[in-house]
Amino acid sequence: MDMDVIQASKGERQMSNFASAVVPDLLPRDQLLQRLHGVANTGRLQSGLRALTEYVGASHYLLARCDLLQESGLDFIVSSDWPFDLVRDIANDLVRGYARSTELEKCMQVFQPNFALMPDNADVPDGASRQYCSVTFNVGRSRLALMFLFGEGFILSPERLRDVGLLAGYVASFLRCGGTRVDRDFELTDRELECLFWIAEGKTSDEIAMILGISRNTINNYITSVMRKTATKTRSEAIAFAVRNNLV
Amino acid sequence: MAHPSARTMSSAEQSRMVRVNRISSRSDLFPRLIAMQKLADAHGFAIFRVSGSGIPAKQRLVCELENWGSSNAGFGKAFTDAYGDVLLEHIEKSLLPLSWAGGCDRAAPGPADFAPFMTRLQDGIVPFSGLAFPVRLGAVGNGFIVFTGDEIDPSSDTIVELHGRCCHIMMDLLSLDERRTAAAEALSEREIACLQLAGDGRISEEIADKLGLSVHTVNAYLGSATIKLDSVNRIQAIAKAIRLGYIS
Repeated sequence: MDMDVIQASKGERQMSNFASAVVPDLLPRDQLLQRLHGVANTGRLQSGLRALTEYVGASHYLLARCDLLQESGLDFIVSSDWPFDLVRDIANDLVRGYARSTELEKCMQVFQPNFALMPDNADVPDGASRQYCSVTFNVGRSRLALMFLFGEGFILSPERLRDVGLLAGYVASFLRCGGTRVDRDFELTDRELECLFWIAEGKTSDEIAMILGISRNTINNYITSVMRKTATKTRSEAIAFAVRNNLV
Repeated sequence: MAHPSARTMSSAEQSRMVRVNRISSRSDLFPRLIAMQKLADAHGFAIFRVSGSGIPAKQRLVCELENWGSSNAGFGKAFTDAYGDVLLEHIEKSLLPLSWAGGCDRAAPGPADFAPFMTRLQDGIVPFSGLAFPVRLGAVGNGFIVFTGDEIDPSSDTIVELHGRCCHIMMDLLSLDERRTAAAEALSEREIACLQLAGDGRISEEIADKLGLSVHTVNAYLGSATIKLDSVNRIQAIAKAIRLGYIS
């Protein structure tokens, strides 16, 4: 399988997490699907996440909205059964880590299991590894990460983690917990977004005036208003902001 | 997500290593797609990607690869005309696969017990039945892989397997594009530094100050970066540089 080839190229540390041996006492995929089918009928996200957690053999789950990470507070957590202190301890690490990689790298990381260590001061539950695993997936414009705690020395199967990323996406899509487009728009109007879009395509104010059939001054007013709402200083920064936040 | 830690690799390193083992041309995708077509009992496949990021009204589906053949030359257009808008709307909010029947007398693919996770499209608009798998990677590389044929009747387990492989194909397709653009337009370190600062809202004078260059040199770097990124002005260059991952 393709996955194996890719995993094989990862470093030693990564390899230690992956063994292709199937752990016999874990649920096969078709039974997991049946369980999720039941979960869909009840509409309970937690039972869905629990089923997925058991499918990979992990002990605790945390579902986070990566796209909300830049904001302060713990709003980014969608659902979790991790100890609360632990969530607070890793929140800072997550925010910093998320800002560090580029959008393209994030796109290439979708459904790829990623292992990381807890901060040194964090208290993990008894018997749990200090490593945790995360898989990212997208539902619409929201990027979500499902993170697992697992037993010390337990080996998670990469195939199962890949399945879990996809199926968590199914459950999140079905229960609509991806969030709608509206909450990412920073209260920009349709006209303002339209102007941003054309500027990002390299059009000047005069050209946009021609395209939209409104005056150049109106366009400039829209852009000034965008810069005010997004707290940006120049046109370039406003566009960079819009691209980073997937507004255009 | 990247989780900083001394003992694990950064996500940038990881994705770089993953990419080394990726395919070198689009023809490498063909045998994998044929294998998936066989698994689905389909007669043909097609990859559609969402082009024109941003404002939904500006987006459309572009066929990247298909094996419908010359006798079915009109399939691609018939498909995008029939379902293009619905699919674009779907990928904005959901990861669930879609199915449709080619005629009202035929059954749409997909077993009954998978129903909550399958989105049904209106039947009988196009002369063939099929399955469409949405893949959402992030700001770039999003699209659908479509399998068509009247004998498609996969089990739930097969649907998940196919969808997982679809995600891989779309990531490989994205990594091919990235390599192509990287080869043609390798930006220098100075050009990237200037773009980054411009995207952070600095004006040329500030960039010159910060990098210890003259304003003219800064403008020259931004100009050459604009040309390499095939853009008409620096704002478009900044937008492209963020989307391609040169700057953050």
